[in-house]
Order: sequence, then structure tokens, then C-alpha cells
Amino acid sequence: MSSESESLDAELETTTLDGEGVDLSMVIDLQRCTGCGACNIGCAQENNLQEGMAYSSRIIETNGEFPNVSYEYTPTLCNQCDDAPCAEGCPTSALHKGKGGITMHDHETCIGCKSCMINCPYDEIHLNEEDPHPTWESEEATIESGTASARAVKDRAGVDDDVDAPAYYNPNREVSETEHPTRYKGIVEKCNFCVHRLERDELPRCVEECPCEARIFGDRNDPDSTVNEVLAKYNPDVLKADEGTEPSVNYVRDYNGGSYERGTGEPGLGD
Amino acid sequence: MSQHDTTDDDDTDLWIGRRDVMKAGAVGAVAAGLGSSLTSLTPLAQAEDGRTDLVEHTGDWRPSTCAGCTSWCAAQVLVDDETDRVLRTRGHEDSRIHGTNDCPRQDLGIQQLYDPDRITQPMRRTNPEKGRDVDPEFEPISWEEAIGEIADRIMELRENGEPETFMVTRGRYTYLRPILYSYLPQIIGSPNNISHSAICAEAEKFGPMYTEGEWSYRQYDVQQSRYVLAWGADPISANRQVSHYSNEFGDLLDRATVAVVEPRLSSTATKSDEWLPVEPGHDGALASAMAHVILRDGLWNREFVGEFEDGENRFVPGERVDPETFEESENSRGVIEWWNEELYDKEPEWAADEAGVPAEQIERVATGFAEAGPNAISWLGGGPCMQVRGSYTAMAIHALNGLVGSVGNRGGTLYAPSTGVEDLPAPDEYVDEVAEAGLDHEKIDQRGRLEFPALKDGESGGGVVTNNAADGILDEDPNEIEVLISYWNNFAFSNPESQRWEEALAEIPFHATIETHASETAWFADVVLPATHHQFERWGQLRSTGAGYRTINLHTPVMADDPDDPEDVLENGRLWDVKTDETEIPYLLAEALADRGFENLLAFFETEYPDPESGRSLREEIPGDDFESRELRAQAFSRNALKLRTRPIWDPDYRENEFDWPGGEEFDDWVEFRERGIWHTDEWEYRHRWPSEGGEFDTDTGVFEFDGETLRNALEGHAERHDTDVDTVLDVCNYQGRVDDPDAPDAFVPHYEEPYDMGDEDDYPFNFVDYKDRLNREGRSANTPWAQEFNDVNPGDEPGKDLAKINPRDADRLGIEDGDEISIRSPVGEIESTAKLWEGVRPGTVAKTWGQGHWAYGRVASDEFGDEARGGSNNVVIGAEYDRLSGSSVFYGDVRVDIETR
Repeated sequence: MSSESESLDAELETTTLDGEGVDLSMVIDLQRCTGCGACNIGCAQENNLQEGMAYSSRIIETNGEFPNVSYEYTPTLCNQCDDAPCAEGCPTSALHKGKGGITMHDHETCIGCKSCMINCPYDEIHLNEEDPHPTWESEEATIESGTASARAVKDRAGVDDDVDAPAYYNPNREVSETEHPTRYKGIVEKCNFCVHRLERDELPRCVEECPCEARIFGDRNDPDSTVNEVLAKYNPDVLKADEGTEPSVNYVRDYNGGSYERGTGEPGLGD
Repeated sequence: MSQHDTTDDDDTDLWIGRRDVMKAGAVGAVAAGLGSSLTSLTPLAQAEDGRTDLVEHTGDWRPSTCAGCTSWCAAQVLVDDETDRVLRTRGHEDSRIHGTNDCPRQDLGIQQLYDPDRITQPMRRTNPEKGRDVDPEFEPISWEEAIGEIADRIMELRENGEPETFMVTRGRYTYLRPILYSYLPQIIGSPNNISHSAICAEAEKFGPMYTEGEWSYRQYDVQQSRYVLAWGADPISANRQVSHYSNEFGDLLDRATVAVVEPRLSSTATKSDEWLPVEPGHDGALASAMAHVILRDGLWNREFVGEFEDGENRFVPGERVDPETFEESENSRGVIEWWNEELYDKEPEWAADEAGVPAEQIERVATGFAEAGPNAISWLGGGPCMQVRGSYTAMAIHALNGLVGSVGNRGGTLYAPSTGVEDLPAPDEYVDEVAEAGLDHEKIDQRGRLEFPALKDGESGGGVVTNNAADGILDEDPNEIEVLISYWNNFAFSNPESQRWEEALAEIPFHATIETHASETAWFADVVLPATHHQFERWGQLRSTGAGYRTINLHTPVMADDPDDPEDVLENGRLWDVKTDETEIPYLLAEALADRGFENLLAFFETEYPDPESGRSLREEIPGDDFESRELRAQAFSRNALKLRTRPIWDPDYRENEFDWPGGEEFDDWVEFRERGIWHTDEWEYRHRWPSEGGEFDTDTGVFEFDGETLRNALEGHAERHDTDVDTVLDVCNYQGRVDDPDAPDAFVPHYEEPYDMGDEDDYPFNFVDYKDRLNREGRSANTPWAQEFNDVNPGDEPGKDLAKINPRDADRLGIEDGDEISIRSPVGEIESTAKLWEGVRPGTVAKTWGQGHWAYGRVASDEFGDEARGGSNNVVIGAEYDRLSGSSVFYGDVRVDIETR
């Protein structure tokens, strides 16, 4: 395990959930990010996401004209806004602010009305228009009696037929009372900082998965947290600040760190 | 049918039901949670049918290795304790190179393991016709039948006295490879074992070989470097310790300047200080101009290169230097010859015209690089040298490291420390007369002929010419190929002008292939043998190199609780009825050949591959002649081979008494090592090969050569073999360099040659820029949904699409709009693609990520399996040309195409 992950893990273990005392926050160091997408793949596997539904996602922009071109890769996820318009506008309070400031979703009270999707300025809430992973229902083989089928692989891998998941189904979400392991048709879903992992003192999967140690996670209200150290060191930014939603996901430094004036950056967190 | 549809709520629903049970516990948890650890959010009660803890806390992290690219990262695999299901992978926590960091390619592994399109058991072709449009009509057969068919064919060749018509092709491998790749054909009697190496990056090895005597890839000391100048290398995206370089890159940007020479905006270029968008094929002009600037401005490293006797810099543009005035360092030779023959007139303005990069940028980068020296890296990738005249470019780019003294130095370009692994027992005593006669034949790739010098390690014909084997087969020159075993490769897709391989494979009377998927190559096979997945289901060994170390990494069958027990592995260690290409299949073949009266292979395995711990031979451990016993012995053989290979690492007695131990970590027994799965060398010692430090370079002269003396010897050796001169060799091989010709570049010093266009510029006005997909696991990931869903990690690409990137200025001129369906046509082939207008490509070029265009492999990789390709395969338009000095196939620089809307 990387030194950064180890120290963030240690912080997490000593973090106390004291009423309003904990404000879980993520900082993404864009200079460390290499746009590799490991976060997105890890998230998809941790949360058994249907293809095309990415809690951990990205905004990619290319600007300028050849040869003066800049390329920016911005990793995105639910911002767990302090003033979360998705929660404010939810008629059943299925979306609500939970412990640690996480914007939680209760699948049992969700009626799939989509008002949260309209209210979220970040497009981070997704509707299940069908039960997930329908392709994993298939019993068809490419070469009869020579290649496998989706159902056959699930069977070999020990995943029940009625679990709407791939053969590499991750049972981790079963441990949390607040999550449904795979979701189902008619409700929305979103990132919750992997609350099932947080409950077991493990970092969100995207943080752990990042090979560049670009994601820093911890308690904003702990003055000694790495999150606060990083936020103090750089000039943090949030997406769409003018929306006034007070995101808990901050960004520091620039993806195209090399084009910045050299010598202005501090040594990275891995040091 | 939905179990979870809110419109059809059902109390018996698995998950809803569980939630109901847990509600009481949940309330308690929140109340108890006040003022306590986050852990107290944990539900107090759990339903019987759900998990109570994360798999990370209940399962096992078991060691293995990712071979999704040649980074070969040591890995750990999380195996679920309840189902033995593989849940996730990561870098090995004990690795000093990458720790738990892995790149996204490794994360795709589980989608390969659990791919519904995997081959689950052996198959036999029933349709005798072969062709891309011909359904092979495969039918399932047993392993015993499949192995028996192959053995029958081999026996026939030997009985006919033509064992040389047997052939093995290899792609990816582990270091158990000699068994199938070398020893099997050797004992049968065929010289025709053809590796993929020359479609990988052999030209990259040519640069260090003919400057410092290392036919090898490098490691780069990024943690200590102050300047990184990358040439067609994309270290945060593709190939060689991506995990390590990705992790270091953010800090590197603080510490160092990073400049990238690349015709398209690569992943690394997007984050760098300087992008030098070179015109394809002209990299060598930049390298020569940079060397010129470094010498002109007196920025070279005196300790490594030397100094003028009076200290006056005589490197004046346009003027040659009297060698007598310069005192060479004891570390290198020939800088004056390099200047006089090549560099003296290669001014930045000249290079700017050739390469399309501003002169001031060339000056700035050269100066910055040299001033940072010796903590500076000239990082050679495949791009500038997998070109028709790429060998000389490779030399020029690597020689820059010599100029600034970064060779083997802190913050520079390093090699790997020696490792504590043993050669596998070799079969020389088991080669009979029939085999010896067969082995005397020329190889099917025609290496070593006048037109294919392939000068690996300085030897004429020392290296492979992978792609030319297709022509050898088609022309039956030097002989016909009757029986082919291919493994862990897909030559019908991965070689340039791959359509030739389709023809060649269709010609071979009997072809058995060992693969995880029904690839384009398998489409032509007579017998398809399903392979284990390398990271999860088999034994093997690879190695990683970085951060000053090399590690030896084990592949283990992670789903078996006791991998040393062959029964456990066969019962629990595989998802399907699959076997390991390099070990189990040769073993079963050996038994079948012995049944048919040829016992040498089996005698070799039985005698030379006992369990080194117990001393028991395979048959002593597992007696019995039924096929099941043979399968168990095959698995024991696999385990024994790995134990023998790594014995010095885990057997103290052997290490101390039987082996020249290079230092490094020491283990006391096999299980201790196997359970950890990774071993480290000692750390690289800076400058230890410098003659001034008492070392020696592996060139013919023992020093670093700027004058190509070792190349001179190699070229003269090749010319002599063909009773001709070096100029004829170079002429036949399409190079411009000549010996003692004032109008041509010097044949031996690193130098610039103009690109060799594959296609007329009028008919094919664009340069085709090919590069490898960041999520491409060496061509094996296209059937994983994540590789498609997230392929926008390649700058300019979009999820799920196969795009040809065109500069908007060109598109405007041609009337092509974003999203237009276009065709890309070269002299050898045509593919269909979708246009993407993007400023990250140089006008005059079309850039396209390599990896799409499968028409077989599976239902995700292809549009319709066996029928319709998903996107276009770059290899259809890239002609079969070669950098003949290295034997490499050409992918870059010289490929010309035309594009039009469809």
C-alpha cells in the first residue's frame, strides 16, 4: 500500500463521527492525476455498476489550436454538496444529508421521480431504466459447447442467478444497511463516498485505486487532516462554484502541471 | 425479469427482505454512533444471506503477476473466502517499484477471467476449408483427443524425416517459456520457433546495443531526474512500469522539465512542459540537432565524454574538428567522429525544416536537457525507431544520454541489476539424430539473409523477423510448414499487414492454438486448446524493473487454496477445463508422443524436472497411466519448473553452493517465497559500468561508443557472411548510410536518415500515426466492456468508439465533419473508421489508437463474432515493412494513407 493511502487509512480509523463534527471531504490533486481512469474502473467494480453508469467519471476538454493545445482531464464524482439541491428537492427525502456530510440515498423510499437529476448541477445522479446487467442473463454462447455464456460464468463464479450483477459481483455493498448491492429498475443511484467501505474503516475505492495518489480523503473539520493540509497548501477550486452548492470535492493544482511556471509547485504528497 | 422493480414490490425479494430484517439494528447503530468511531455505523445485526464484512477483511490477497503489458507488475489478487471468486487486483504491497499501485490495465483482468466468451474446453475444426469468411464449425473434443491429434501430426513429420516443418509461435510468455518455445521444437527437431519480439520494439534495443552494448530495455531513474526528454514514449500510458512512472509523474513535474517528442498529443505530452510535435519520421533530425547544440554550446559531460586538450571548444557549426585536439574520456570514444560525420552541420534551423518543430524549441530543449545532465533522461520509445530507418534514430536518441553522462547514472538511464533465477534444465542430451538434422535448417523468418541482418547482440541473424515468417510460410521458403502450435499470440491481428497471416494460416495443414479466446488466429486453427489466464490460473514467472530494482514476480493459481497440490489446482484453480500453454500442454504432449514410440521429451521431463524439495520425479509423486494422472503430473511439472527456475531464491543450500548469487533478498524455503510471490535484487549501483569507476561497457571496445564501432563489426560480419560489402547491405536494406561516401550519412555513427515513405505522397497524402491503446492488454482486452467504456483515457478518443483523429484544418479542406464515416486507405489495405476532428494531431497526419477492428475474439470486441469487425484494425493499413538492421516491423513514421468520407 502506498504511503499516502496508509496515512489516510490511519486517519480514517481515528476519525470520530460526532454529530455534525465530521465533514468528509475529497481533494483531487490534478497535477498528480494522469487521466488513466483506474478510479472509474475500480468504482464500477466496487459498486457493481451497469456499464455506462459511472459514479466516478470525468470531464475531458481539449482547447487551443495545434500546436498550442491544452488537454484537461478532470475526475468527477458526486460532490456531496453541503447545500445539496438533490436532497432539498427530493419529495420523499430518499436523498438526504447523512453522517459525515455524505449525501445519502435511501433506495427504499426513492420513487424514481427524477427531480434530483434535474436539480443536480453536476449530472451525478443516474436513473435505473432497467434492472442492471441484463447481458449477464444470457445463456447464449459464441461457439456452442466451446465457449462459455454469461449465465454459465456466473454459475462457475458462485454468483446467484437472481443477483443482477456480473460474474465478478462484488458483495461488499451487502455489508451496509444503507445500500442496495446492485440497485434495480425505477430508482436513482449515485456515489456516496463508498459508505459501505467507510463504515468498515476503508477508504473510498477510487481513493484506494488511484495509482497516482491524486485523491486525498478525510475530515475537513479535523485541523490536522491531510485534506486540510493540502487545501491550505494550494488554492483549491470546486466545480461550478457559482451554483452555490458548497461541494465537498475540491480540486488543487492543474492537470497540465508541466505548463505551469516551474518551481511554484510544492513536492507532491507522495514525498 | 426484475426482482427489484419498485412497481412490483415483493416481500420475498432477496435484498428488500434483508433490509427489513436489519432496520432495528440500523437504528441502534446510529444512536450508538454518536461520539464514537465511524466503525460504529456498522449495523449491529446482519441478515444471514448477506455479508457482514468487506471481502478485503475476510478474503485473501494472494500473489501473482499482471502480464497486461510488459511492465509485468507484481500483483496481489483478492480472493473471496466464501466463493473463491477473484474480486479485485492491485499492485503487490511489498514491491519497492510500485507498491499497491497498478495501472488500469490490471483492473481489466477480472473481466478477462470471467469473460463469457472464454473458451471453456478443447475444440476441433470440422470444416476442412479455411478462410476469414469460412465458419470453422468447431466441435468440442476431450483434452486426450486433442493432444493425441497433435502428437499424431508430430510423429508423422518425424517419421517422414521433416521435423523442420514443425513450428511454434509465441506472443506473451512467462519465463517458463523455454519448455514450449525452445525445448519442444528442439527435441522434435525444428529450428522454427518464432517469437513476437520484432513486432514489439526490437529497434528500441538497437540504440543502447550499438552505443553501450545492451540489447535491452532500460529503466529510467525518474525519482532523481531533472529533465525527461521522451521520444515517442508515453510512460504514464503504455508499456514498462507504467504503475511506477504514473505514481512518480506528479512529483516529477515539480522537480524536472518534461519534454515529449511525438506527432500527436500523447497522455504524457498532455501533462508536460514541452510538446515537440515532430513530423512523423523525422525524429532523428531533432536528435542530431540537439546533439549539435549540446556540443556547440559546450554543454557535454566532460567526465563521460572528454575535453579539448586546451579547453577551447572547437565544435563550431559547419566546421570539422581535428581529433588530435580532443582527449577522450576513458568512458567513451568517438565523439569527434560523430561530430565530423554527422553533427557538424545539423543546426537547429535545418532540423526545424526537416521535422516541423521550431528551431528555438529545439535549442531550448537541448539546452535544458544538457544543463540538467547528468540527471537527465533521453527516453527512447518505439515511435521514432520502429520505422524503416529507425535503427540509426535509436542510436542517436540514446547517444544523447552519453553526451550528458546520464548513462547508468543518478537520474539517468539504468538497466536491471542481476537476478537470482536459474536457467531451466536444457534438453541437449535428448536431441536425437532426426532432430539434429531438422535443426540444421534455416528458420522460416529468413533472418540472417542479406536483406534481414537482424543484428541482435551484434550477430548476423541473431534476432527474429517475426512478421516475415508469414512470407516464409506462404512462399514455402526455406520450407513448408506442416504443423504449427501457436500460443498466447494473435498473429492474424497483431502483425502489420495482418491479412498476410490470414493467408499463411489458411495454408498450414495442421494448426493447434492455445488461447483464452477464439481470436482471429484461432479462426484458422484445426485444434483450439483453452489456456489458463496468466494472472489467476497458472504458475509462471516474470519480472519488473524500476526504482533501481528488478523484482522476480510469480504467477500462482490463486483460486486454489493449496497451489502446490496439483489436485487442488485442477479442481479449484481454474474456471474451466483449461491448461497452461508453457508447461502442462507440453507435458501431456510428451506422454502422448511416448505412447507413439518417441520417448525423448517425456524422458527429459521425468529426469530433469523432479520436485527440487522432495527430490521426487513426476511419476514418483503421481503414478498412474490414466489421463487424469497425466493431467496431475502435468500440473506437478508446471510447479516443479517454477521451483527449479527460482531455486536460488528460496533454497539456501543451492544459493550458497550451486549458484553465482548476485545478492538480493533471501528466502529460507519454497512456501515462504511462494506465499510472498516477489523477490528483489539489490539496488542499482550508479556508474558501476563506467570504466573510470572500474567497470566496463559491453561493447566491442569496452567503452560507450559515439562512433558505432560495434555496429561496424556487426555490419562487416553480416556483409562477409554474404560475401559482399556494407554498402550493399545497407542499400538492400533501404538505408541511406554508406561507408566513406561524402554524399551520404556515415554508416556507423548515429545519424539522421530521411523517412522511407510506404506509399506515394500524391496518392497517400497523410502520415498515419498509430499508437497503442492505454487499456490495451497487448491486444487481449478488446472483449472487456471496461476497455470499451473507458477508452476515452486515450486523449482524443471517446467512449466505445474507434476514431480516426484528424486536424480540423485538414478536415475543413477535405469537407470532413466530426463524426463522418470515413475510409482510410494505404497501398496495402483499407479500413473504415469515424472521423474525430481534434487539435491534438499534427496537420497532415491521421492518428488512430491501435486495438480495435476485431472481427473475432468475442461479442464485445467484434460487431458480430466471426463476421463483422468493430471499427478498423490499424494493421490492415500498415504495410509489412522492416527496420531490417534490428528485424523490427514498422508501425510508425513511414506509413502513408489517404482518407475519404464513405
